[in-house]
Amino acid sequence: MISVSHLTRTFGALRALDDVSFEIQPGEVVGFLGPNGAGKTTAMRILTGYLPASSGTVRVAGFDVLRQSLEVRRRIGYLPESVPLYREHRVVEMLEFQARLHTIPRKERSARIDEVLEQVGLTDRKQDLVGNLSRGLRQRAGLAVALLPRPEVLILDEPTSGLDPIQRLDVRKLIQGLGRRHTVLLSSHILPEIEAVCPRVIIVHKGRIAADGTPSELVARLAGSSHVRLEAVVGHDVAAAIRILRTIRGLRDVVDRGRVGVHHQFDLICDEDLREEVGAIAAAKSWALRELSWRRPTLEQIFARIALGSGEEPVEPAASALVAVPEPPTEPIAITGLPVAPAKPAQPARVVYNLNPFDRGASRDLSSPKAVEETPGSQAPPPA
Amino acid sequence: MRGLFAIARREMAGLFIGPLAWLLLFIALLLNGWLFVLYLKMSSGDVDIALRLSLGESWTFWVLVILVPPLLTMRMISEESRSGLLEFLLTAPVTDAAVVTGKFIAAVTFLALLWSTVFVYALVLQSLGMPPDWGSVAGGWLGAVLVSALSCAIGLLASALTSTPIVAAFAAVVANLVLVAAPLFAGLSDQAWVRRAVARIDVIDHHKSAFLAGSLDTAYVVFFVAWTALFLFVTVRAVEARRWR
Repeated sequence: MISVSHLTRTFGALRALDDVSFEIQPGEVVGFLGPNGAGKTTAMRILTGYLPASSGTVRVAGFDVLRQSLEVRRRIGYLPESVPLYREHRVVEMLEFQARLHTIPRKERSARIDEVLEQVGLTDRKQDLVGNLSRGLRQRAGLAVALLPRPEVLILDEPTSGLDPIQRLDVRKLIQGLGRRHTVLLSSHILPEIEAVCPRVIIVHKGRIAADGTPSELVARLAGSSHVRLEAVVGHDVAAAIRILRTIRGLRDVVDRGRVGVHHQFDLICDEDLREEVGAIAAAKSWALRELSWRRPTLEQIFARIALGSGEEPVEPAASALVAVPEPPTEPIAITGLPVAPAKPAQPARVVYNLNPFDRGASRDLSSPKAVEETPGSQAPPPA
Repeated sequence: MRGLFAIARREMAGLFIGPLAWLLLFIALLLNGWLFVLYLKMSSGDVDIALRLSLGESWTFWVLVILVPPLLTMRMISEESRSGLLEFLLTAPVTDAAVVTGKFIAAVTFLALLWSTVFVYALVLQSLGMPPDWGSVAGGWLGAVLVSALSCAIGLLASALTSTPIVAAFAAVVANLVLVAAPLFAGLSDQAWVRRAVARIDVIDHHKSAFLAGSLDTAYVVFFVAWTALFLFVTVRAVEARRWR
């Protein structure tokens, strides 16, 4: 239904989308997931034909979005994040306008309008001015406008942004119901939502597709660290306990997490849920159990991992707090006049800033480093 | 084509829902009616002169032509691009040209309505036993509509180029002023070819010498239609260019 191949879009020097390819089959509900500025909206705008691509081809229902734009637009229902509706019109007038734009025959028009209003639950508000509707109701009105021409493809940009949790649940239910009749592509930066609604997730990060698959697949592929957490009284011989635990089939590794009071905590790394096997051993060995749980990384953790970079822990800004450092914070900072810890050999350069407050005071240049040492190692910094 | 009318219709509705259109209509009609009575007195009852004055011989007509269309068109594209409605329209199954033309038709229809009050004056005069020169009235009305259409097209272009309605209105008023007053500026030049060249685009003269005289000269019709079409074309391109930004 939607086929995107090698799609690239640049805004000046910024690459909003970088060689993105994916396919969406008819009837699929796909979630576009990514932090703000990842390129979700840009991708959706290109799919609807609002923005042209810098390179690559996009086909919707077999039509090229650039060359057969009108054919594509007839088949797409698009709800932008801003929910554009004419505030001065009534809900029903807005729907009539959409019906005229999509040349829905006059006879079917009012029946169809009633149908979508029923679908989104706005039947009793159809004479209200759009400008007087609350955010959640406006979202539904926008959805009604997008649904009116029975589009084959429905593209929803952050359909739940700015809604309260109950409205969010409502919209989510509504979208779940849509999957049967339409191909749906929706974007969000809220994970539980995507997890709940979409059988397939495409994670976008910095204009590239970071991952594509079902939520559970993504969890399995990207995380690989699902485990059974065991907390039990195993006696003094922990090594023996570990040896016994290792005999379980399908177990990849045992991580000893140390003592918690009289209890001992283990993480049993495995791909499948082995709680029953572990439980059986605990029962056989009469270990007093306090916790036995199956833990899988959530999409949220995977997402955080992708967004922060390849599995790295977020780096705490330490000595750099005083000065704005233009380089990434992983660069070590030598403070002149103070004893400097030897630099790690893995790091090639050392950036030295002028932190001496007696040297020209506030007018000293802090925008660029005073010196960058090329030689790695534990050399003393140059004299200030 | 149906999309075009849907947009024109929506735009008309949008104009009349808001207070601006009614306000403009009120002011323009009040001014026109009052001025018409004044013209009748000035011309000591010459019906034709009074009608010609209210359809283009007087400077107040040109002030309205310069001011009213930009105020109508200023919001049409700039505000919609801000509120995201332009995104809705440009992803609806209508061409960019239909979006621009639909808005243009709405604005021109409004102005045609505004100028058509002259027919009311003419009818009243006729009923009082002073039949006016209907050819001159009809020609003058058509000319007024064409001149306003040109001004609307300029206003739409300004609206497409900026994202603030006030800036769009101001730019369009200045552009209109330059166009209408170009012959005056050209008169300052001592180069004969400058004056001759500018006389070719003398909007006031084109309106007066053909339409107000009651003659439908295709050359003059084409003059206005072509310039209007040019500005509309550039507007469509400007809307299209927004996608690339």
